[in-house]
Amino acid sequence: MRRREPLSPEDERELDAIDRALCGEPVDHDLREFEDLVNEVRATAPQMSPALTAQLERIVEHGPETDTAAAPTKPLRSRRWVLMPAFGTVTALVVALVVVLGNADNDDNDPRSSGGDETVSVTKQEAQPNAGGAVAEDRAATPARPQSSTADPATAPATRSSAIAPARERKVETSVLLALTTSKDKVQSTADDVNQTVARFRGIVASSSVNTNDADGGDATFDLRIPTTRLDDALAALAKLGHVSERRQDLQDITASFTSTQDRLDEARAERRGLLKALGNATSQNQIESLRARLRIVRAQLASAKSQLASLQRRADYSRVNVTIRGNAKAEQGGGGSWSPGDAANDALRVLEVIAGVALIALAIAIPLALLGLAILFGKRVARTRRRESALDAT
Amino acid sequence: MTEPPNTATQSFDALYRECARDLYAYVRTLLHDDASAEDATALAFERAYCRRDSFDARRGSQRAWLFGIARNAALDELRRRRRSAPLIADLPDEGAIALDEQAEQSLRRATVRVALDDLPARERELIALKFHGGLTNAELATVLGTSESNAGTRVHRAVTKLREACHAPS
Repeated sequence: MRRREPLSPEDERELDAIDRALCGEPVDHDLREFEDLVNEVRATAPQMSPALTAQLERIVEHGPETDTAAAPTKPLRSRRWVLMPAFGTVTALVVALVVVLGNADNDDNDPRSSGGDETVSVTKQEAQPNAGGAVAEDRAATPARPQSSTADPATAPATRSSAIAPARERKVETSVLLALTTSKDKVQSTADDVNQTVARFRGIVASSSVNTNDADGGDATFDLRIPTTRLDDALAALAKLGHVSERRQDLQDITASFTSTQDRLDEARAERRGLLKALGNATSQNQIESLRARLRIVRAQLASAKSQLASLQRRADYSRVNVTIRGNAKAEQGGGGSWSPGDAANDALRVLEVIAGVALIALAIAIPLALLGLAILFGKRVARTRRRESALDAT
Repeated sequence: MTEPPNTATQSFDALYRECARDLYAYVRTLLHDDASAEDATALAFERAYCRRDSFDARRGSQRAWLFGIARNAALDELRRRRRSAPLIADLPDEGAIALDEQAEQSLRRATVRVALDDLPARERELIALKFHGGLTNAELATVLGTSESNAGTRVHRAVTKLREACHAPS
């Protein structure tokens, strides 16, 4: 870059004389040469033609005849990049909106979202319909391997979502462990709610134990049998009674046992029919005694197989659910009860957190795009100015 | 009831009355061609008319703003010309010189004209902006996108070159 020397006082005087001459003001005597120069240069000034004067008059009065001057250099198509930051911002806002709405939908599915992330996930899981069918489908895919899904409520929905339809032939025994915590003064009422919930879903309380104390509220355990067809709804209802601290679900495919027992039963029935027929045709006493003895054995086998089959059917029809309730002095008051103003405040805070996060993401996208757009805009302006200036050098 | 006068249009009309001749002289000096100069001048006024509402007085005078637009139009014309065919500049009107009433004055003006034409384009532009356009150094700085002191220095250098060219033996 060329370094320019500052003007000397004499140079300043000369420039001042030129300015004075241009304004028609008197100039110092020793600088009259500049006044003459100004006058001579101005005298050589090119004059406008009458045609140009008329054209300019029209422009000033009525504006340009065409719209070419409105977009003088480039069409909008070639300047789309200028809109990049705007596009980026709009895109970011749309993404943010989608995320917020998606989150709102999830919150809507959560009737008691103040219990923390773990509870929210579990509750979401409980909201999935036909989970029993999902299990059956999983079993059908891998029939020889007993499945056991342990826990993490947040990951549970993924396994369930892969289900399509139940397989009627499969027999699956389901065992669920559900650990709830509630505030220490609600252990008893939560235990009562468990009983009511089980009754509502036509389940069975096989055994229960409730122990209350003042220190931490105590605990309660339930060994429940819930109709498998209503298991998911029942689990969802149970999960709403407290904060789900643990949930484990074990699945056992008992199809093979069921089938073999059924076969044995069928064989025993066929044998009994054969024996009864033979008995009807028997002619000697020895033959009759022998057939009766065999018939007693077959009847016993038949009864055993029936009993075993019924037991297997019950295991498939009723899922075993172990519920434990523990009192917790630190548990949120609204954890297992009705929706309270505290829950509302927590929900509002959660929504604000999500919105703030989304806004941050949107800014993280929009700001670099805007900076990039500005940099490109600036660079193009500089380049255009340089190209124009270079036109001067070329003449 | 008559409509109130449009102040923006009035202001633009006043700007036109004040600057049109000077603007054309500047553009013509820069382009060395009547037709191109007329086109560029008309285009500059069209653009200025369309953008008259976006003028920001904080960024300089209206005159400087208009000359800046004209300068861009003229430089675009120069670039177009460079991409196409080289221009054969209009020949000086020798008859007009001969008809001037005072031979010495005519000769001197012809000398100035030739000296001005022989200046490099950048200096010629500065002289045109200063002498034809009548811009102050601050307005020059706005048009050229430089500082006021730098504009003054460049004008002084261009004037010095013009004086030297005028005094040089032909």
